[in-house]
Amino acid sequence: MRRARIVRARRITVRKEAVAVTVATHAAAGPAPAPRRPRRPRLPFLLIAPAAVILLLVQAYPLARVAALSFQSWGLAQIFSDEAAPFVGLENFQRILSDPLFWAALRRTLVLTAAMVSLTMLFGVGIALLMERLPAWLRRVVMSVLVMAWAVPTFVSTQVFAWMTQQNFGVLNHLLGLGQHNWYVNPVEGLSVATAVVVWGAVPFIAVTTYAGLTQVPGELVESARMDGASGLQVLRRVTLPLLKPVLGIQIVLSVIWDFQVFNQIWLLRNASPEPEYQTIGIYAYMQAYQGHDYGYAGAVALVNVLLLAVVLVVYVRQLIRMGDLA
Amino acid sequence: MRRVRNGVYILLGLLVAAVWLFPVYWMATTAIKPGRDMYSAQPQLIPLHPTMQHINRVLDDPAFWQALRNSATVTAITVVFAMVVAFLSAVAVARFDFRGRKAFLASVLVVQLVPHVALIIPLFLALSGLGFADTLTGLVIAYLAFAMPFAVWTMRGFVAGVPRELEEAAMIDGCTPLQAFRRVTLPLVLPGLIATSIFTMILSWNEYLVAYFLTSSPDRYTLPLWLTHFITSEGAEFGPLMAGSTLIALPVAICFALAQRNLAHGLTAGAVKG
Repeated sequence: MRRARIVRARRITVRKEAVAVTVATHAAAGPAPAPRRPRRPRLPFLLIAPAAVILLLVQAYPLARVAALSFQSWGLAQIFSDEAAPFVGLENFQRILSDPLFWAALRRTLVLTAAMVSLTMLFGVGIALLMERLPAWLRRVVMSVLVMAWAVPTFVSTQVFAWMTQQNFGVLNHLLGLGQHNWYVNPVEGLSVATAVVVWGAVPFIAVTTYAGLTQVPGELVESARMDGASGLQVLRRVTLPLLKPVLGIQIVLSVIWDFQVFNQIWLLRNASPEPEYQTIGIYAYMQAYQGHDYGYAGAVALVNVLLLAVVLVVYVRQLIRMGDLA
Repeated sequence: MRRVRNGVYILLGLLVAAVWLFPVYWMATTAIKPGRDMYSAQPQLIPLHPTMQHINRVLDDPAFWQALRNSATVTAITVVFAMVVAFLSAVAVARFDFRGRKAFLASVLVVQLVPHVALIIPLFLALSGLGFADTLTGLVIAYLAFAMPFAVWTMRGFVAGVPRELEEAAMIDGCTPLQAFRRVTLPLVLPGLIATSIFTMILSWNEYLVAYFLTSSPDRYTLPLWLTHFITSEGAEFGPLMAGSTLIALPVAICFALAQRNLAHGLTAGAVKG
């Protein structure tokens, strides 16, 4: 008891000195109800300054610029001369409303996102549950394979899938006995290949993180549910999945955001010139900008894209707040 | 009954491993197949006549080495800068309370969600304004920003996970604050640093889209851009394409496999909450 007091006293004096000298970082634990995080007016701002500058330059400024661009008519004249871009008000957005290609691209993007996200989650969570039930050696094998697949860059996996689905010599046609089937004449089939590339690449992340979450589900909970007579499926539905809900929620939101922006896979499968039937909203915006040189309109399409994702974002931030992650 | 079920699980596990392994296997084996085996009516599942011809073609291409240098430079600089910058921010948000802390955290999260495709046009204009268009510096700046949110978020979990009391104890024992940091905090956040640096490394090594838009001179191509050389309007040369893909993906896959344990830990600490 006395020793404890002495230690504490020492701690306090040391602390005073330390605060005087240093950068640092400690508080709490003392007998006085010290605030958990010391307020030191300038230091934290200095610490976040570099990150803030980079984020402002590369994320915030471009985003503001896109927003401005979408109210302007910005085209070839602005590239080749320094002619100021005229503001056109909502004209670009009115054009979007009456642009059938935009609506078709939007519908395509939504359908693709739904398909990619649900398949990714289905396989990812399924594989995580399966890994829990595998003998250790096989679990290690599956884990290593998934981690390796995860490391394969999308432009590489896309080329590999393009080669596997090649019309004359592709291994897929051979394995399925399809002869010389061309996978890209029908955009539904072509986009299915793109979906397969995306899902193949995205499942490892979901499976590995879900598995990490599963290992944190307390064994006693599962056991006591079992003792109360719950079947395996009931344990899964009533105990395991509810506990995983926060993790799954974030995974779904992240997947929606990633898959909504899918670009590389479709772009490369179609040799950098996707037909209109293959264009998602991101690709459509890009084509308007770089091939149509209509940067103002492209900016408006991109802005609509960001706003649609903002809806998802609200769900995401709310989920994080509920998990206490912003505390 | 139980044995039957375990048997089914094992079969399913093997199937999963096969599906995720096969594309990688097919890439690596195509890379060493001679043309007549690649382009035969009956695809050969096992490479019977291994050859170095595609790999040599890649290794003899000076553009490959140039692109490799560019990719390695960009990746190394990005990783070092990202770690320092993200670590400083992580310390700020994990150890201090300051005005705008929540706003900073929230904006870090939000920027993670802004589609890169939407940023590319203005990013190009902004970097040109600073004289960084078509330079490796421009790529480093862009990748830093893309890697930052995830790195800050993950590092924050690790820094918060080191109890202050540990640092204090070290200082009671006579360490200076810097020593306490170096001997106590740093070793404890090391797994987090490794996990985030590997993610950053993969991000910049694998990035295609931004490099594609920001780079126009062939001597500044990174590996992903160099690889697209083998795709022409008449179709792709799949032999060298697969050889190049294998050479690009291999170092990353090895790093990933080696750091497997750190990765899983880093993810849970960052994603699930530190």
